[in-house]
Amino acid sequence: MASHTLGADPASEPALRAPARSLWNDAWRRFRRHPLALGGLAVLGLLAVAVLIGPLLLGGDPDAIDFGAKDAGPSLAHPMGTDELGRDQLVRVLVGGRLTLSVASAAVIVSIVVGVLVGALAGYAGGFVDNALMRLVDVFYSLPGLFVVILLVTLLGAGFWTIVIAIAVFSWMNTARLVRASYLSLKEKEYVEAARTIGAGDVRIALRHILPNALTPVIVSATLGIATAILIESALSFLGLGFQPPQATWGGMLNQSQDAVINEGHWWRGFFPGAMIFVTVLAVNYVGDGLRDALDPRRVER
Amino acid sequence: MGSYVIRRSLQAIPLLIGISVVLFLMLQMTPGGPLASSEAGGGRATAERTERLREEFGLDDPLPVQYVNWAGGMVRGDWGTSYNTGRPVIDTIVDRLPTTLLLTGLAFVVALAIALPVGIFAATRQYSTFDYVSSGLSFVGVATPSFWFGLMLLFLFSFELGWLPSSGLEDLREQHLGLAAVWDRVSHLIMPVAVLALIATAQLTRYVRDSMLEVLHQDYVRTARGSGLPERSVVVRHAFRNAAIPMVTIAVLMIPELFLGAVITESIFAIPGMGRLFIESAELRDYPVLLGILTIAALLVVLANLVADVLYGLIDPRISYG
Repeated sequence: MASHTLGADPASEPALRAPARSLWNDAWRRFRRHPLALGGLAVLGLLAVAVLIGPLLLGGDPDAIDFGAKDAGPSLAHPMGTDELGRDQLVRVLVGGRLTLSVASAAVIVSIVVGVLVGALAGYAGGFVDNALMRLVDVFYSLPGLFVVILLVTLLGAGFWTIVIAIAVFSWMNTARLVRASYLSLKEKEYVEAARTIGAGDVRIALRHILPNALTPVIVSATLGIATAILIESALSFLGLGFQPPQATWGGMLNQSQDAVINEGHWWRGFFPGAMIFVTVLAVNYVGDGLRDALDPRRVER
Repeated sequence: MGSYVIRRSLQAIPLLIGISVVLFLMLQMTPGGPLASSEAGGGRATAERTERLREEFGLDDPLPVQYVNWAGGMVRGDWGTSYNTGRPVIDTIVDRLPTTLLLTGLAFVVALAIALPVGIFAATRQYSTFDYVSSGLSFVGVATPSFWFGLMLLFLFSFELGWLPSSGLEDLREQHLGLAAVWDRVSHLIMPVAVLALIATAQLTRYVRDSMLEVLHQDYVRTARGSGLPERSVVVRHAFRNAAIPMVTIAVLMIPELFLGAVITESIFAIPGMGRLFIESAELRDYPVLLGILTIAALLVVLANLVADVLYGLIDPRISYG
């Protein structure tokens, strides 16, 4: 951030000197005050570690079949129980988490790139371009999201990237609106005018000067977007239209657990994969909420 | 006012055209394209027949011409026929629609019946235990995947306790009479409606609380209190009336959400509604039916937005219709 000089040299007036704080320092200071947001962040960190190295530590193969231990409830050997093939549910949940979380992250990244491009173009160009792009946003907002995602995945075939694209196609609009609004106000600022005066081109102004300042609201919407993406992917797999077995995802495990839970009472088959979705989404939402307060200095501190 | 409604309705037309263009482009992506969805194509035509049909249906026309013909058909109610059953798409959907509307309507009523009192009460007692608990619960509700909630309800109330039936809308093995028949219907609806209403209730409760809080901190509410009005009258007559304006908008916009959520609910509880039809059609790659349902859902979204805007104008006298 630019440093402000208040009239005289600040060094000569020690009373006015405060330790330099960057935007991020400031945000972190406010974020820390939300215990639930901090807790959410810790849970997400733990989850990421567990999903990445957990299966290695447990030494389990998610597809290892052991008929001797089939349909067992939670125990010390199998904390989340086993399924009808005796596969360890904990290892499957962790391995499935990799897929669920990477699809959600990829979908959010794609949707942010699209949203930022559309929003920046609309806000910076203005006029006809702005109008046309915003009508496009309206159209996508009116399309029934989950239905269209299902249709697209059915059309393109269920694969990692088709699911990512299908989710992203219906989640970029919010980012586009936020970025456009930032561009509309930022492009009138003096510092942009100053950049133009010294001969910076449109592309340079739009990307180097405005974009960094327009991204803050996007961070919150992107964080919350991860929760939505996880829920959509899980719903898709739960309906049997997403990733296909034996590939494990949390939604897919829930799908395959239906019969065992409802007719045989093997509750652990459905409980743990669903609980993972629930805990992750809850943690993401708390972090998003904390970020919203942390990044918006105008928000009254309550 | 009348002219405002008309003007606002006219604004929906370009939106509908935009939506139909996107749907048309998706139809182009389907294997076999629009031909396969026509009655005569049926997906099993020979090369010559296909050639003849291509001409007949104008598939060699430029895309814009094809679009106008297709959209014209949609407006006239010609939505093609199902690959699977050969029945007209529109009849297939109309058969399934009432069930989904029943679920959506009940869930909407339940969500309002819980969210309004809880949200208002929490706002009037900000930072009380009740406020903390209800806010916490609504956070939890929003994060709960509906299919997980449904599955766990099924385990508890159908498998463990045996209180509620696990699927369908009525007992198919036995004909019930009188009160037993009423209970039969109700018991089949309790879990599906609870699952469908969960997220809407949680979202609405948060929204009601926030809108009420905003209004309760306004000067005129303090004036009303200061002039000695009973608290009940302040909350109901003065605060709620103004908080109701944004609430109505959100509540109306929630209807299409519920309608979409029915896909999952109907799938868990094997309820023969439109959502289940959508999943079945997706499994069978029955594109005409999929696009038909998509069209209905998109129309509902546009309509809900229109109604929300018009209601907003009706309730809030400050909105000018100019």
